[in-house]
Amino acid sequence: MQKLGDFKLPHFFNYPPYFTLQPVRDTRNKQVQLWKELILDYCRTQKIFVVGLEEDFPLFSNPVVERSLSHEAREAFLSALVSEGRAEWLDKGHRKCLILWHRIQEWADIILSFVKDNGLEDSVMTVEEIRSGTESRGTELHGIDRTILIRALRLLEQKGKLAIFKGTSTDDEGVKFSL
Amino acid sequence: MRRRPGIGGLQNAATARDQYRLLGENVAKIRTDLMKEQLATFRSQLEEFARKHKNDIRKNPAFRSQFHEMCAKVGVDPLASNKGFWAELLGIGDFYYELGVQIVDICLATRPHNGGLINLQELCNVLRQRRKSDRGAVSEDDCLRAISKLKAQGFVTVDEVERQFSWTSGRAIDALDTLLDEGLAMIDDGHRDGRRRYWFPCVSSIATSVADI
Repeated sequence: MQKLGDFKLPHFFNYPPYFTLQPVRDTRNKQVQLWKELILDYCRTQKIFVVGLEEDFPLFSNPVVERSLSHEAREAFLSALVSEGRAEWLDKGHRKCLILWHRIQEWADIILSFVKDNGLEDSVMTVEEIRSGTESRGTELHGIDRTILIRALRLLEQKGKLAIFKGTSTDDEGVKFSL
Repeated sequence: MRRRPGIGGLQNAATARDQYRLLGENVAKIRTDLMKEQLATFRSQLEEFARKHKNDIRKNPAFRSQFHEMCAKVGVDPLASNKGFWAELLGIGDFYYELGVQIVDICLATRPHNGGLINLQELCNVLRQRRKSDRGAVSEDDCLRAISKLKAQGFVTVDEVERQFSWTSGRAIDALDTLLDEGLAMIDDGHRDGRRRYWFPCVSSIATSVADI
């Protein structure tokens, strides 16, 4: 099986026709499904949160079979993820896509577990500490994309689990937990 | 021959060398001719054999396998073309072609169960069931032969189809697009030569799984 670093690539990745958008509906559906799963799996294992359509995202080409996904194909597969709530476009031109291999709700749950596990129920932390502080090491929160983190925190704020407050600059946004 | 000193002696030696060389060439030629004759005789005997045992070859897989081995030894490939002596005599090209089509058919039918990969033994079992009555037994050897005769690469271009069947471009595209619509083929527009390729996933998976045996 071919690998991309540590990641095991599925067989279809070496089959040239999968790099061409298929015109026949059932075939296309199967193709889209395979690509959606691959993109999510890869982003999850490599902790990739943003995919740029015009950048060298490794999954977009396979030099072994000398094929690359057209822009149309890239947009089609990512749009399918967006429709499913597994991704969001970051710009109107659909050039950058936020990948939600955990949905926002799932991230919110992870944050809650993190707070409980570390006894932080009544503490205050900065947003940056949550994603890169010592407590975060070894957890899924380590290195999380800021945009996603803030979205999850806002969700929890709506549920009254915490309060977000601004510090002296955007880097200092703080969170007071009240679980 | 006793060597004699002087010019005369040298001339004799030269003549002797020439004569030996000529003899050597003649021997080589005779050997080649003999071999050619042997091969020609073998080939016609093989044809005679095939004529006599036509039914056995069609019906008995073990016999058929040995027959193929004999042919291979003299560089005869009865499956090389659908025309000519072998095809006409034995209809053996048709046999394998038909087998090939049935194999693709079975693979397609079982695809929902096995995702497009089928093991050779199972394939032969299903094949035998389908061919039950008069068509004659089929061995794994036959399956392998038929499979290797299917386009090894797993894809075709429109040009290739036109050439293979002597069709017009329109007809070739229609046929390929029909297979596409039925989910039997996938298109590939990514080759740098810009020519569209039609891939047959079923064929490629058989070829891959058989290659692993």
